[in-house]
Amino acid sequence: MVFSSLFFLCVFLPVNIILYYAVNNNTYRNVILIVSSLVFYAWGEPVWISVLILSGFFNYFIGTSIEKNRENGKGKGIVSLAIIANLFILGFFKYFGFFVENLNTLTGIDIPIIDIGLPIGISFYTFKSISYIVDVYRGEVKAEKSPFEFLLYVSLFHHLVAGPIVRYKDVEENIKKRAISFNAFNNGVERFIIGLGKKVIIANQANEFSKVFLDMNYSSLPVLGAWAGILLFAIEIYFDFSGYSDMAIGLGKMYGFHYKENFNYPYIAKSATEFWRRWHISLTSFFKDYVYIPLGGNRKFHIRNMLIVWLLTGLWHGASWNFVIWGLYFFVLLVIEKYLLFKIEKKIPKIIWRLYFVVIILVGWVFFYHSSLSDAIQFLGIMFGAGASSFSSSEVEIFLNSYIIFIGIALIGCTPFIKSIFQRIKGHMEKKQIGVYSVDQIVKSIVNTAIFIMSIIMLVGQSYSPFLYFKF
Amino acid sequence: MKKLQLDAIAFLLIIVVLGIGNFININKPEVSEIENRALKQKPELKMSSIIDGSYFRDYTEYYSDTFILRDKLLKISSDIQQALFIRDTDVKIIVSDKSKEYINEPEATDDKNNTDTRNTPEENTTEPVSTPDFTSSPEPTEKPYNEADGVGYWLVIDGKAVELFKFNKDNFDFYANVLNECNEKLGGKMPIYSLIAPTNSEFVELRKHAGITDSQNNATAYLNSKFNDGITAVNVYDVLNEHKEEYIYFGSDHHWTALGAYYAYTAFMKTKGEEPVPLEEYKTVEIDNFLGSTYAKTRDKSIEKNPDTIYAYLPFVDYKYEKYRFYQLSEVDIIDMKYADTKLDKYLVFLSAGDGTWAKISTENKNGKKLLVIKDSYGNSFVPFLLPHYEEIYVIDPRFYDFNTSEKNVVDFIEAKDVNEVLFVNYMENVNYRDFMLSLERLINNEDGE
Repeated sequence: MVFSSLFFLCVFLPVNIILYYAVNNNTYRNVILIVSSLVFYAWGEPVWISVLILSGFFNYFIGTSIEKNRENGKGKGIVSLAIIANLFILGFFKYFGFFVENLNTLTGIDIPIIDIGLPIGISFYTFKSISYIVDVYRGEVKAEKSPFEFLLYVSLFHHLVAGPIVRYKDVEENIKKRAISFNAFNNGVERFIIGLGKKVIIANQANEFSKVFLDMNYSSLPVLGAWAGILLFAIEIYFDFSGYSDMAIGLGKMYGFHYKENFNYPYIAKSATEFWRRWHISLTSFFKDYVYIPLGGNRKFHIRNMLIVWLLTGLWHGASWNFVIWGLYFFVLLVIEKYLLFKIEKKIPKIIWRLYFVVIILVGWVFFYHSSLSDAIQFLGIMFGAGASSFSSSEVEIFLNSYIIFIGIALIGCTPFIKSIFQRIKGHMEKKQIGVYSVDQIVKSIVNTAIFIMSIIMLVGQSYSPFLYFKF
Repeated sequence: MKKLQLDAIAFLLIIVVLGIGNFININKPEVSEIENRALKQKPELKMSSIIDGSYFRDYTEYYSDTFILRDKLLKISSDIQQALFIRDTDVKIIVSDKSKEYINEPEATDDKNNTDTRNTPEENTTEPVSTPDFTSSPEPTEKPYNEADGVGYWLVIDGKAVELFKFNKDNFDFYANVLNECNEKLGGKMPIYSLIAPTNSEFVELRKHAGITDSQNNATAYLNSKFNDGITAVNVYDVLNEHKEEYIYFGSDHHWTALGAYYAYTAFMKTKGEEPVPLEEYKTVEIDNFLGSTYAKTRDKSIEKNPDTIYAYLPFVDYKYEKYRFYQLSEVDIIDMKYADTKLDKYLVFLSAGDGTWAKISTENKNGKKLLVIKDSYGNSFVPFLLPHYEEIYVIDPRFYDFNTSEKNVVDFIEAKDVNEVLFVNYMENVNYRDFMLSLERLINNEDGE
């Protein structure tokens, strides 16, 4: 099931909310959440839900077992084996094909690649579980005593299928005792609607439009067409993924959970380093806390540690060489930025930084998008004039002319501009009331309701369109 | 804050009302009129489909497909899309996802008992472009309309939709080969005519966007150079070009109008050295408010504001039009007004949709001339003008022909029906479209009867 579907919005969600708020007891609410989360997951993964449940119980036992063995030093062995076990499961489902393919190419043997299928969300719940057992081992959190409350953490439908990668220690309190408030619910609904709008109104359209340039035979692609195509892809992936995180966070609030932000306007960054502090924050902080720092961080073997983290970051996104290249690409940029560019940071005018950023990000997305490296290189060539049929073309011009408003809205949406407009409105209007609401609240409500209605209407007009980050 | 915000209230109300609305709406629709297709049915609850997940996927799709007020919401959805995202220019390129495309043609099935007239997508899966090597005209430039993942490019200009044509040499060679084979099999015993109808992209004023679509006239010239002796090409380009300011093509549908078909008919007559019947001899019937296939594909507002009018010309000779669907025979009108009241299917008035597995038109002219027309939907508006000239006209559409309930191939058919003249009437995009050509090839070469 996906959030941006009519079935979720009009069947699952209302039933769920009504049941949840009909009972007044935290335990019953947790039961409702676990059951509905399992139903939610089974809807998309009727067979591999078994892996989710088994993984949940496995990591629960590891947690309690680490706790029991704290005194006798066996904890380290237990957690290490458990990490390997978790990664093995993930590797088996996600990377088996990739591994075998490369083994075949290297050695010439011909092991058949069986297509097992990738269970939805396995990358997310595996990482969640690893963060839990390591945190228990480090003593940062006590092992969860109830297997069902732990299962709730692992399987909660808000963040199960596409993140954010929520840490157990951040939600433990919420699981045990939730503060339900109108304020949280209101904010949750607003956040959810914004996420839905980002996905349905912007991301899905950007996907259609990007196809105009990215689906064509590249030997006829003009320079401007390549830039337009990859720009639309950049728009699509941001609104798709951040939209989903918004919905997850919004749902959390509606149910009394508080999750950390996963995106912070990444496209206003001026460097790759800054970008990665704003993009998929839960993933980068996972790698920082559980890989980078244990390896020595920036104190010992700094560059080696960065290399490992970026290879893993790339590989996490997909079992294919282009993702590894994408990770390596950022490794190189980050090193150059840290050891060269930032030393002369003040000497480079801001506009050059922004231009630099736009170029490196779009080039990065080229690697991300094309699973074939030769396609990626051909596309990059065209972007910089090599092998392009022309600089522009009639079709590109007509297209850009027609969709310039859409692109403009999307680009503005990448910045905090709209948010700051609402802050201004609030500043001026919050003293004035109409009935029980202040004027700025009414304005925001009208806008949000309009976005929600528009999203529903457009969902009817679109067919099933799963999230980009859905295959993780 | 101890209250719900207005948007939270609206949110809850909307999802609950829609949820309940869909729940109590037991009579789920089965067909979408506005999309001209069958809607997803409720999936059957089977263990196997639960295990492989298809039950849930299908159920979700079924839920969306039968969502309450879907047709109305679809309309509003495309209005929003156009209002918000497309600047109101007079020229736009609409990228059409071919998996969502629907045409006015009934589907050809192999099921003898199937009287289902669901519509099928008309897909254009062309291969990479190569330039044609003929000397008479400059070479068309390579065009990027690679329909690999099912993306079609429509130029909407001045309230009309134009499909951007990309010449595919291989497919044109294939077409020539198929006709040459037919000629060989018939041993030169009868004249074979090839009439390729261009689409409106050839004639619509593209202004500064001229060159965006390949020249169909050049493509036809190339094709004609590949025909063997015995096949006569009918040049309709000149006559259509002469009359291009007239209403010879629809703006919201990919077909030519009956007037355009008439002019092509005059070219055909001229090629044969015969006199065409003046158009004034025909009684005209007018059908308003026609929004056709290209409107269905693009849903463009400027097209919607300019609906077409169908002018149909009623035959004045006495005739009997027998249309066969497998073993079932029905006698229908050449201009069948039962389609005039449909939403998107008004073009089907011509030749009563021309969707027979085969058809026979017998007229009062006992002149011994028996014609076989192998056609696509462009032929539907063309064939009516042939009635004054032939005793019998047989009509076959390669997409609908059934090898079980009729002759095993067209050569046998010609022999069995005593045909003495063959005319191929196809439009440019079908010549360029491999799947259509394969069904044409099979029509000619089929041996074992299935």
